[in-house]
This record gives sequence, structure tokens and C-alpha cells, in this order.
Amino acid sequence: MVGDKSWGSRIFSFTNGLLLAIVALVTVLPFIHVFASSFATAGELAAKKFLLVPTTFTFDAYKYIFSTSTLPRALFVSIFVTVVGTVWSMLISSLTAYGLSRKDLAGRNTLMFLFVFTMLFSGGMIPTFLVVQETGLLNSYLSLIVPVSINVFNMIILRTFFQGLPDGLEESGKIDGCNDFGILLRIVIPCSMPAIATISLFYAVTYWNTYMHAILYLSDAAKWPVQVLLRQIIVLASGLNYDSAVYTDTPPPSQSVKMAVIVVATLPVLVVYPFLQKHFAKGALLGSIKS
Amino acid sequence: MSNQLATNKGSLLRSIRKNKLIYLMIFPGLLYILIYKYIPMYGLIISFQNYKPYKGIMGSEWVGFEHFTRLFNSPDFWMIFSNTLILFGLQLLIYFPIPIILAIMLNELRNEIYKKTVQTLIYLPHFMSWVIVVSISFVIFTFDGGIINGMLESLGFSKINFLLSSDWFRPMYILQIIWREAGWGTIVFLAAIAAVDPQLYEAAKMDGASRFRQMISITLPSIKSVIIVLLILKIGDVLELGFEHVYLLLNSTNRHVAEIFDTYVYVSGILQGQFSYSTAVGFFKGFVGLILVLLANWLAKRYGEEGIY
Amino acid sequence: MVRVRSKSALALLVMFALLLTACGNSAGTETNKGSESKGETPASRTKISIMTPLHMAEVPDPKIEQLIEEKLNVDLDIQWIPASTYQDRMTAAFATGSLTDIVNISMTGANREAIKDGQFWDISSYINEYPNLKNLKQDVLNNTLVDGNLYALYQGRPLSRQGIIYRSDWAANLNLAAPETLDELYEMIKQFTESDPDKNNANDTIGLADRGDLTSGAFKTVASWNGVPNEWGMLDGKLAPAFMFPEYKETMDFFKKLRESGYMNTDFPVTSKTDQQNLIINGKAGVYIGCMCDVQQLYTGASQLNPDVQFDVHNKVVGKTGQFTVWSGPGYNHPYLFPKSAVKTEEELKTVLAFLNGLMDPEIANLLYWGIEGEHYSVVDGKAVPISDRGKLDREVIPYNTIEVGDPDTSGRLSGSYDYAPMARAQQLFTDNDNYVVQDPTLTLESQTFTQNKDRLAQLINDATYNYMLGESDEAAFNQAIERWKNEGGAQIIEEFNASYEMSK
Repeated sequence: MVGDKSWGSRIFSFTNGLLLAIVALVTVLPFIHVFASSFATAGELAAKKFLLVPTTFTFDAYKYIFSTSTLPRALFVSIFVTVVGTVWSMLISSLTAYGLSRKDLAGRNTLMFLFVFTMLFSGGMIPTFLVVQETGLLNSYLSLIVPVSINVFNMIILRTFFQGLPDGLEESGKIDGCNDFGILLRIVIPCSMPAIATISLFYAVTYWNTYMHAILYLSDAAKWPVQVLLRQIIVLASGLNYDSAVYTDTPPPSQSVKMAVIVVATLPVLVVYPFLQKHFAKGALLGSIKS
Repeated sequence: MSNQLATNKGSLLRSIRKNKLIYLMIFPGLLYILIYKYIPMYGLIISFQNYKPYKGIMGSEWVGFEHFTRLFNSPDFWMIFSNTLILFGLQLLIYFPIPIILAIMLNELRNEIYKKTVQTLIYLPHFMSWVIVVSISFVIFTFDGGIINGMLESLGFSKINFLLSSDWFRPMYILQIIWREAGWGTIVFLAAIAAVDPQLYEAAKMDGASRFRQMISITLPSIKSVIIVLLILKIGDVLELGFEHVYLLLNSTNRHVAEIFDTYVYVSGILQGQFSYSTAVGFFKGFVGLILVLLANWLAKRYGEEGIY
Repeated sequence: MVRVRSKSALALLVMFALLLTACGNSAGTETNKGSESKGETPASRTKISIMTPLHMAEVPDPKIEQLIEEKLNVDLDIQWIPASTYQDRMTAAFATGSLTDIVNISMTGANREAIKDGQFWDISSYINEYPNLKNLKQDVLNNTLVDGNLYALYQGRPLSRQGIIYRSDWAANLNLAAPETLDELYEMIKQFTESDPDKNNANDTIGLADRGDLTSGAFKTVASWNGVPNEWGMLDGKLAPAFMFPEYKETMDFFKKLRESGYMNTDFPVTSKTDQQNLIINGKAGVYIGCMCDVQQLYTGASQLNPDVQFDVHNKVVGKTGQFTVWSGPGYNHPYLFPKSAVKTEEELKTVLAFLNGLMDPEIANLLYWGIEGEHYSVVDGKAVPISDRGKLDREVIPYNTIEVGDPDTSGRLSGSYDYAPMARAQQLFTDNDNYVVQDPTLTLESQTFTQNKDRLAQLINDATYNYMLGESDEAAFNQAIERWKNEGGAQIIEEFNASYEMSK
């Protein structure tokens, strides 16, 4: 194409690529350190401050994490809560966001303000706990999903994307005889895949990281998601509670366990993300108006 | 355009009837915030009480605005307020543009594999807890044998005490935030850029626009609405600075620049079981956030943009 | 079109899944039992519920819980709560009236107010009816009194485990003996820095490694060796806080000098426990002042890098007073209290106390602490030797440690034996410390202002202490901080504690 192969363009590409390489390097180096440390022994960790390539190699940290008998069950709970939660939140957020994106909706600003207001003020842990209790969700997996059904921030972003769609889309849907639900399902959502992918990712990560609510609402330890387990391990490995509280005779697990926990906690996102990346390809709207 | 309600009642009813399915769509969301957000808000009442959990709200005594006056009269109030505003300003002016720039730069990459790799690598730090980030910073910046000081020494410069000085707190703070969040923050903008019609780029190229020009004149304006919405939301978050991060960085030498509302209330309220005081401070924070959101939204609309309500 | 159908199908699936989960759980709280079947529990067993912090990674195997239930004929409901969120759960339980029969809470702050408000049973008149409970150490019980009343039973802890851990091989290389005085301690730290103690012809060592914790790190211990009282002491006939004593300033000067001379890690106020221990483990530093129990961990790590490394522990370091004094904790860790909202009648209270009495039997105490004999530990020369499978111990025994009652002296439980000699020696020194401890006199005194402001005021003084030691501020500034402390509530606290003290005499 004209203009692509010019010198200006080449220099631009080169500088761009170089800068991004530096950025990528700076962000990934500490992660390499964490990854490498998860395979090192306590001695080596103490000796080398910023370990990048371990000379000692041991799976002990991972063995420690995976030796807990509750890990498989906790993982299952986390996956379940994440999948169900994300689908549910996307459903209700998309409905709300689309509804609020319609410019001719009477009372739209007031309704929006009602949502925005909840981002600024919160009743606090105990009143929310009481509501969760009153709605019968205590000790149920639903307590990890329903009380956080909509993240208003996410919903507003979805709304912004929906608002950005060309008006022609709605028209073409009406011509085909769709009602509003149909327009949403058949036209708007497929044309907004970048936004859908992004917000789904945001919700999924939040659900995957559920920790506080699990401890608060689930008194049955068998129902705890994997983050509770992982955090307990980290606290153990930092050895702080050994000052006063616990059985001081046996030492805490090695520092490498802390690092291994980060790797284990990050792995699922690393696995899922590539599937979402294809939605960030350009031209998702291509041809939609023409059809 | 902002929503202009028809002054004619008949036309209003017609509008509602036409959009009844839309209202149905919004209904579940409204129900949700009513039950799980608005009902618990009665808890804010304890800001005006001396709340004791074992007494409950009904049983605790009322003290009116006592907690608020205590907050405003505390000798450190203005220090805390200004610290919070300054850190917020840093976030807004320095951090906020970075994910946008990165997203645009990523968009300009031609090699798909390189692009996907960089995309994945830069969001990794988001998954490290602040505890780890701060402890890695310690390894890099510590005075005794830290990496940076080691380099300074070998180059003949004198060592700098980064961690125990009030001058370096703000730079460290913003640096750590950029490192941890910038990559993750690009995702939203990448999605926005992906939604831009490629035909616009084609047309610009045929007109002879350079890549840089295309970037400025097409990409940037097209994602303007997303940028503005995020900006307003960020402004509303003005007093929410991330408790854990600052708490980990606080020490005796930097307290006068690092103490923010959240850390202050942690020691003066939460640790000592003073729930009412903590809630009152939270109430104050929300109030300031509300005023700023109102302001920012009004400004946005005045310049012809969509606000968030 | 296909997309739409799959979306509706998905929505249906989701709703179905939600329905499943909604029906799958009963509304009430369930107990934390594992996946095995519990068998029939006779209806006549009394039910006892207890909330306790969980420090391990997971909830333990119910084996031991079931054994206890059998032996004491109770139906036990243990609610395990991850330690880091314990306070939040406790607050929620308070606010929603869902406390258990026995709660494991600290006696300070908001909890103390609740105690004074009468939320818990006063057990002073009941405790002597139980053969084991009445053997609990009176001194320790006295430390739990609120307004002179007894509300709590305790789980014992050694009064003081503080001491120094040092590289005995370095000391041997330099012909240094264990320091007996503060001057000798200073000298050792200095020599470890300057005199190449590891004999590698390089100037790469420092003496002391400390961390950013004035209480559990080196400061408070060295201060108490120098004669500073434990938080509060008698100054001119009245109770005054420790930082008003001249010996406190002397201690600050001690560390300031060490730091300025380069004999200790410069960034100690921001050094974490992990990094502090790493300095010792990788052979950079040679002296560690804190809990002598840490010697095991330090040795394990250090010996991986250097098999010839040698540590030793030592407790008696004397200051200018010539007498050895060391600060002590209250002697207990988790006090057990009994909420009136859960234990409704005196009858119930008695069954709960009987249960705790049962936990103090040697047989049960050993179960809770060491596990099942033969499976988790064996007895050698009257001491317990745990098996080497840490994982099994973590999963089946260790969490139960948090519901121990009393201490080895009073419950007859076995003490442990240790392969690593310095660790065994450390245990002996813990007991030795008992003879020299200095208590915090305000543990049993009352001051409303203190209860409401202690953290904030403590932060003021801690900041001033650090800034002085770092050379960021001088003595005048420190005195200013003391004045500020007084103005923001400190003066009132002094009055209140002294009034309370007079009343208690």
C-alpha cells in the first residue's frame, strides 16, 4: 500500500518495536525472577538476591502446594465460580449496559446516576453480610456470585462501547423484524466482541481472585476456592505468625513456595488470554453495516 | 447528545411504551443494585454513632457529627488530604496516559506474533500482589547491596537511599504503579482500537497520511469516548489510592508525604475497632468523589462528549 | 443463527447450574468435616462449638477431632478461620450474633470494651470446680483479668524466648566468647564487621541483621537488657511509658552508632523478616537478636550453602544495671472466652468448662499438640519426637495446636526433643529466661484512652524512634514527639493507668 514502505514508515516501525521491546523486558524480568525462584532452594534464594537462572533445581515448592489434599477440590470450586460467575455477570451487565446505551431512553441519566452512585458509597462489610444472610445465600456458592453480579465500572465500559456502534446497526435489525432483545443478541453483541472479550476477562479475573468473600460467607471449608489456600500458604511461608502464635518448633516452608504460589495463581490467565486475543484483531465491524 | 425529556406528557408515555423491552433489560441490574448496594447503605448511619458490633445499630449511641469534626480537626488532616491529592495528581497526569500510548504503539506493530507476545508479557505484573512488588523493589533499590546502588557505585557515583527518604517516595510509588498496571490497562484501549473501522485508515493512506499522522488523526479520536469515560471514573476514585500498596511503602521517614486517608484510618480506626470513625472517613471520601464526578461529568458534557450519566 | 441458539442453550445451562447449587446447600451453616462419613453420633452428646484461627494451609483431617469427641463424649463443631481475616470474621460474628460457645480472641481494643460490657461469662467462681483448670498458672490468669474479673482460660506460651543467635564459628575464629554484657555485644558486632570473621580475605560481612519491627526485632530486647521497663515502668514513683526513661535513649544511641558505623544493615527499618534471615543465611551477617527458636530455620537454610556453618544461642546479656532483665509477653497466646450470646445458661457454661478441663488431660493435650502416638510421634526418654513427614503433620496435627489449653507444666503434655543442639539449648534458655522476666504492669490495668488510641500513639513514638536512630532527627525532635504524644492523649493515659494502679493495690 502506498506509504507503508517509505523510510518514514520504516523508522517509525523500528522505533516503535524497540521501545515496546524495552517495556516488555522491564515488565517480564521480575516475573522471570519469580518463576526462577520457585525452583530454587532456600539457600540459593538467600544468596542471590535477584535470581534469574537457578543453579539448584528442585520441585519442592510445587510439591508442597500440590500435596495439599484440598487443592483439587478448591481448584474445581474456583473454576466453577469463575465460569458461572463470568457468564452470569456478562449476561446481566450486557443487558443493563445495552439498555442504558439507548439514547432515547426516558430517565436514562437518572438511572445511570443510580448505578454510578454505588461506586462512591458503600454500606460496609457488615450490612452487606446481613443482606447476604437475609437473602439466604450464606454458605452457598451463590454468595460468591450474586452479591457481585455487576461491577459498575465494567458495565459502564460496555455501555460506552455499545454507544459507539453506528446507528445503522439498530436500523438494520429493526428492518429484519427483531425486537430489542433480538437486536442485542444477534447484532450488537457479535459486533462488540472486543468489548465482550475484554469485560469477560475482567470479570473472570475478579472471580478467580475471590478470597475475602469466600472466608466471610462460606463457613464450610470444603467450599473454599483456591485463593484461600494459596494465601494461607503465602502467609505461612513468610514466617511472620511464628513470632507469637504457632507451634514454633518446626520451621515454615521455604521462600520458594511464595514464588510458586504466584506462578500457580497466574497460570490460568496465561492459558486463557490467547483465546481472547483474536478478538482484538482489527475490523471486527467490517462489513456489518453493509450486510 | 444528552437525553432531552419530552415536556409533553403524552410523548413521554409513548416513549416509555416504545422502549418497554429496554426497561425490562435494565430491570435485573436495577434489582441487583437495590438489594445488594442500596439496602446495605443504611450502614453509613454508624458514621453518626458510636457503633459497637455487639450493641448493633439500634443499641449504639448517637454522636452526630463528632467523628467528622474529629477528622477535620486532627492535626494531620491537611497533610493527609494534600498527600492524597498529590498522589492522585501523579496518577492522573503520569500514569493515566501510559496505557493509551502503549495500546496505540502495540496497534502499530505489524508482526502479529511479536505483537501478541508483547501484549501477553506486559500484563503479567498485574498478577503479582503488592507484597511481592514491594519486596522485589526492596531487592532492587536497597542501600546495602541493592542492584541500582551496586551499579551507581561501580560507575563512581555515591549511593542513594531510595527506600528511607521522603524525596523518593513519590517517584517509587508512581513507578511501581506504572510497572504493575500499565500493561493490564492497555487491554481496554486495545479493544477500543480494534473497534475502529479499517476503512478510515485506508482512506487516510490514500490521501497520503503518514503512519504517525494516521495515529493522531484517526486512532486517537476514535477511542476518545472510552478515554473520557475512564478519565471521569478515575477522577471519581480520587481518594481511593490503593491501601495495601501505600501501607507497604510507609515508614517513619516518609510518613509526611505518604500518609493517605486509607492508611490513616487503618491505624486510627480499624485497628482500634473504631468502626464508626472508619465509616465516617469512608463517607467523607465518597462525598469528595461524588463532587468531583459531578464536576468532571458536567465538564465533559459541556465539551460535547458523552458523560457517564 | 447458530450463535443465537448456542447462547440460549448456554443461558439455560447456567440457570440450571445455579438451580443445582442453590438446592445443594442447606441454609444453615455446616460444620467443617472432611469428605469421609462420620458415623452415628449418639444424641446424648453435648454440642460444643469453637472458633479458632487457622494458620496452616488447609483445614485438618478430622481424625483427631473425632478421637477427642469420643474420649470426652462431646459433639464438637470447630470453625476454622484463616488467621489473616480472623478479626473481620469475629466482627461479623459479633454483629450478627453468631458467635460460638468458645471464642479465641485478643483481649484488647474493641474486644476489651465488649468484655467490660458484660458480653462474656465471668468464670472466677467456677474455675476451681475443675481439677485441671484450677491448676492453671495464677500469674498468667492474672494477666487476663479485666476489672479484676476472670473471663478467660489461656493457652500458654513461654514468657520470653528472646536472646541472641550468632555465628559461633566466626566467634571461634576471632576468639570471642558469647557476649555477657552490652559492651561485649557491641564489640562482637563490630568485630564481625571489621575483622574478616569468615577468613576469606574480603570485607564482606556485617555484624547485626535487624528488621523493621521494634518489638519482635532487636530493639525491645536490647532495651530490656539495658534496663528499660516493659512498655510501662515506675519513674519517680509513678507509672510512665518506657520511652520516657533515659535508658530508652541510650538504646536508641546504641543502634544509631551501630548503623552509622556500618556494623548493621543500613535499611533495617524497611527490611522484612525474610530478608533479615537471608542476611544470616547467606553469611553476610553474623548476629541475630530475636526469638531463639529461629535458630533451626537459620541453620537449615545456611547449611545448604555452607555445610560448616555453626550457630549458637545465648540469652543473658547484661546492661549497665548489672542485673539481667528481659521483657516478657503475657504468658498466653489465645485466651478462650465464653460469649453469653452463645452459652445461654449456667448449665451450658459448666459443660463447656468441663470440656476444656478435659482438653487439659495429658492424653488429650498430647493428642492436640503432638498427634497420635506411633503415627505422628514417638516417645524417647520422656520427650516427644515428631515424624519427619512435615506434610502429614501439617495436615493432621498442627492446626489443632490452636485449641490447646494450659502449658506443659500444667497439663502434663510432653515436651519435644530436638536433634539440632542449639535448638535444644534454646528451649532450655526459654525456661532460664523465666527467672529474669519483667512484665508489663499495665496488662491488668484499665485506661479507656489507651484502649481507644494505642495504635495511633504507638505509631507516633515508633516513627520518632526510627527517625532518631536513622539520624533524620535529633534529641530535641524526639522530645517534641513525646510532647505531642502527651497532648494527643498520652497525658490522660498516664493519669488513668496510675489511678487504676492505685485502685488495684
